[in-house]
Amino acid sequence: MALSREAYQAFEGIVGTDNISDDPALLDSYRYPLSHTAIHIGPYYRVYTPRGEAVLLPGSAEEVQAIVRECNKYKIKFKASSTFWSAWGYPLEENTIQLDMRRMDQILEIDEKNMFAVVEPHVIGATLQAEAMKVGLNTHIHGSGSSCSCLASATSLGGLGPDTNYMGHHSENLLGAEWVMPTGDILRVGSIGSGLGWFCCDGPGPSLKGLVRGMVGMNGAMGVFTKCAIKLYPWPGPATLPVEGKPPAYKAVLPDNIRVYTLGFPAWEAWADSCYLIWEAGIGYIAHRQFNMFGRDLKGAMVKILSDPTKTLSDIEELLDDPEVQKMTEEMKRDYQIVLAGMTPRDIEWQDKALDRILETTGGWKVQGMLDPDLYNWALLYMIRLGHKNLNLVYGGGYDGCFGLGGTPDFATSGPETIPRVEEATAFKAEWEKKGNIVATGGDAMMGGIGGMGGGGHAMWESFTHFDPHDKASTEGTLEFFDAATDYGIKKGWGPGMEKMNAYARGADGRSTPKEIRERILSAAAQPEAFRYQRKIKETFNPNDLGDAYYRTLDEPEK
Amino acid sequence: MALEDYKADMERCSQCSYCKWIPLDHVKSWRFAKGCPSIAYNNFLSYSARGRFAVALSLLNSQSNYTDRVVDIVYKCVTCGSCDVSDKICRYNLEPLEMMHELRFRLVEDGQLLPQHMAVIEHLRKEDNMMMEPRAGRGDWAEELDVKHITSEQAEVVFHAGCRFSYDKDLRETARTAVTLLKNAGVDIGIMGKDESCCGGKAYDMGYKGEFVKFAENATEAWTAAGVKTVVTSCADCYHAFNRLYPPLGAKFEILHTVQYLDRLIKEGKIKFTKTVPMRVTYHDPCHLGRQGEPYVPWEGKEKKIKGQIVVYEPRKPRYNGAWGVYDPPRDVLKSIPGLELVEMERIREYAWCCGAGGGAREAYPKFSNWTATERIEEAKSTGTEAIVSACPWCERNFTDAIDTTGEKMKVFDVIELVQQAI
Repeated sequence: MALSREAYQAFEGIVGTDNISDDPALLDSYRYPLSHTAIHIGPYYRVYTPRGEAVLLPGSAEEVQAIVRECNKYKIKFKASSTFWSAWGYPLEENTIQLDMRRMDQILEIDEKNMFAVVEPHVIGATLQAEAMKVGLNTHIHGSGSSCSCLASATSLGGLGPDTNYMGHHSENLLGAEWVMPTGDILRVGSIGSGLGWFCCDGPGPSLKGLVRGMVGMNGAMGVFTKCAIKLYPWPGPATLPVEGKPPAYKAVLPDNIRVYTLGFPAWEAWADSCYLIWEAGIGYIAHRQFNMFGRDLKGAMVKILSDPTKTLSDIEELLDDPEVQKMTEEMKRDYQIVLAGMTPRDIEWQDKALDRILETTGGWKVQGMLDPDLYNWALLYMIRLGHKNLNLVYGGGYDGCFGLGGTPDFATSGPETIPRVEEATAFKAEWEKKGNIVATGGDAMMGGIGGMGGGGHAMWESFTHFDPHDKASTEGTLEFFDAATDYGIKKGWGPGMEKMNAYARGADGRSTPKEIRERILSAAAQPEAFRYQRKIKETFNPNDLGDAYYRTLDEPEK
Repeated sequence: MALEDYKADMERCSQCSYCKWIPLDHVKSWRFAKGCPSIAYNNFLSYSARGRFAVALSLLNSQSNYTDRVVDIVYKCVTCGSCDVSDKICRYNLEPLEMMHELRFRLVEDGQLLPQHMAVIEHLRKEDNMMMEPRAGRGDWAEELDVKHITSEQAEVVFHAGCRFSYDKDLRETARTAVTLLKNAGVDIGIMGKDESCCGGKAYDMGYKGEFVKFAENATEAWTAAGVKTVVTSCADCYHAFNRLYPPLGAKFEILHTVQYLDRLIKEGKIKFTKTVPMRVTYHDPCHLGRQGEPYVPWEGKEKKIKGQIVVYEPRKPRYNGAWGVYDPPRDVLKSIPGLELVEMERIREYAWCCGAGGGAREAYPKFSNWTATERIEEAKSTGTEAIVSACPWCERNFTDAIDTTGEKMKVFDVIELVQQAI
């Protein structure tokens, strides 16, 4: 249903003629293909998110507020997104306008002394990091990479990434937010709400961090965040990354107090032990099983390709026959990458010694092939800037994660029988790879951090599955595999995996999941009461129901 | 190739938004992080490579039709190729710039034309130039220049002045200097003078492939008849046309930009400097000399899959991602000039910001084109230099016009002018 001319003109009056459009082709560039990276539903071949009624480009919080007020007046849903990386940011239903927050892209402040930045929605990890580094600071970069909005992950999603072990989840880094509520009122959450600056999201002042943020955020379904403050961390490196080389094999030679290693281990138990020991030692700036997203069998060849501008994917097969690559691939079978950043020369020497001691204790090693200067300097830049993160789409253009073994490292690396869960999942996927619909990576393409949350805790293993979204058989074969993975996860007691993570909100047609299915899924969650409580929050803060099903709510059970 | 052949690219686009930025590794500041002028100016997603993939797919699937907005989306792009470089940071099987050209070819075929482009193309058909000038004045730039005319005398090297240098009276001295420098260094050089025509490259970028082919065939025929082995030009657009677009049509000449030839002659000691040029300058990489200046590599093959679903090509497909463009010769020339100090901007080489003159933007969208140039001047100013130097008359003209608009004090030079000052 198209917007009424009256409503369109009201919106046009707010943002101006140049910043609104309802042209059909333009609107189609704001539809997300579920045959691609479905972000944890599907994939569904040639299915798209619904077309919005209009796209608006607001330029200020006041404009957002005025838009939301008109939405309440005309009962039109709205969905804001900044960098549009995933299906979360797109409408679920007709009668929804899309807010593209691109014009609000300012870094409003970097407070060097108090180590935080105040940013608008379209500030991305790369720009914030570049500006922070000029004053000796750094920002957490979300796992989706440095092209993504800092505000979106800090206010509205989980916000974990490779540097989480040192710089936390962005959910932890939020120090305050300006929130245009679904009613159109503006609330400044945290100390900023009392005019005391951006230092604390929990007050003094309105402390609604738990309500607006929680652990997983409101997924863009309850109002619009128009600015926020993010905690920054020390950066003991140069003010500008000294990048060199030909594309895409960019590299950075950094001072010796910043080092990167790929660590390999003889067994999964040793792998997990090393994580605990690293937390105990308090070392590590970035620690993540990153390059395994290319797959256990292919990652050695892939890092060679990506660090050499003369190579392409056509070189994979030849490289797989190279004994040197084979040796490195074998050494990297159970691995992760770690960046050490010493605040002083003594610090880096101590950290390296501590790491060597951990490797001695666990029987692990520094993968020698990755110490080759070309690979070393490439990996160092990759891990720090996370500017190549979308290599998860390099093979055929499509990826999604499955399983998602979340917990302590022991959860993935051990099992109720003698086989670690990671190897069970690997064997299961390897069998499906033989059908030819997903990339044959050797089964294990699991990627994730070694933990976070202040030096321990939660590790997340997402099993990357690569497919071709242009190929019907590949896309449908991937869906078939994901359905099987869900069944397998349930059978093994792991629960449904990341492949179904958003099934509660968006269905196979790209639209809202029917209520009865949504309620069934959410009722089966570990804490369904939380969603009943969220229903009350929604009724209070969003009385006209102008958000969408990404905000999880449950009706009271029938008595 | 046809637009339909890029449907795979449209459906495989990663939605990552890399196309909007310079390669993220190279981001040094918030201010100069953007790579694509089109989305930076127009803001809607549709004005990025990602958005244009989606718009093209929508049209191919008949989900939408041509509208004024669609025409705007397709033509309001400088075809600078910044998106192409950034997309290829993470992908080996996407060609956003090629798709963009095919999309324009389709719009032209379907009669979805811009009046401003139509006027220029109509003139091109009649007068063989993109400058809305009469054909009769084509050779005026070389008046009284002591150089061979290859239609009557044999020369190994032909200097192609191009439309801008031929008709822009403020700039034509640069072309005369280029010829003189090469001739004095012993190069057996000639020109076509009044018989020279447009290279066709700009028509290609605007979507008029038929016009381009006509001019490419005519030039190739004339050079062949004259026994030309090497074509030299001081225009980046012409260089790109000769270097990348002519070879698929059968042209087989050595193509050099003047900066490459000057660099060679300086290193061989055939050009010697006698004066200092005490100046701090910054160098702007023209898109068609830099990231689009990679040599053409013939390829005929097909897509295949390995390891189940990894998309590769058989035989190996050449990859154009800006890695092997012409970046060092102009810099080496500038560095060799006594007294001259070269200071780099933040966005350089394969990730340089465009001057705004390309893709028909200067002709159809002067405000957008001027804004794009102004952005570059701002970046040049941030280096603290007094001049911006380029190797293309279209860049030089657009920068000069932008400076005239804003009242900046930045000077604009061609590399050739600074070489001449040092001799």
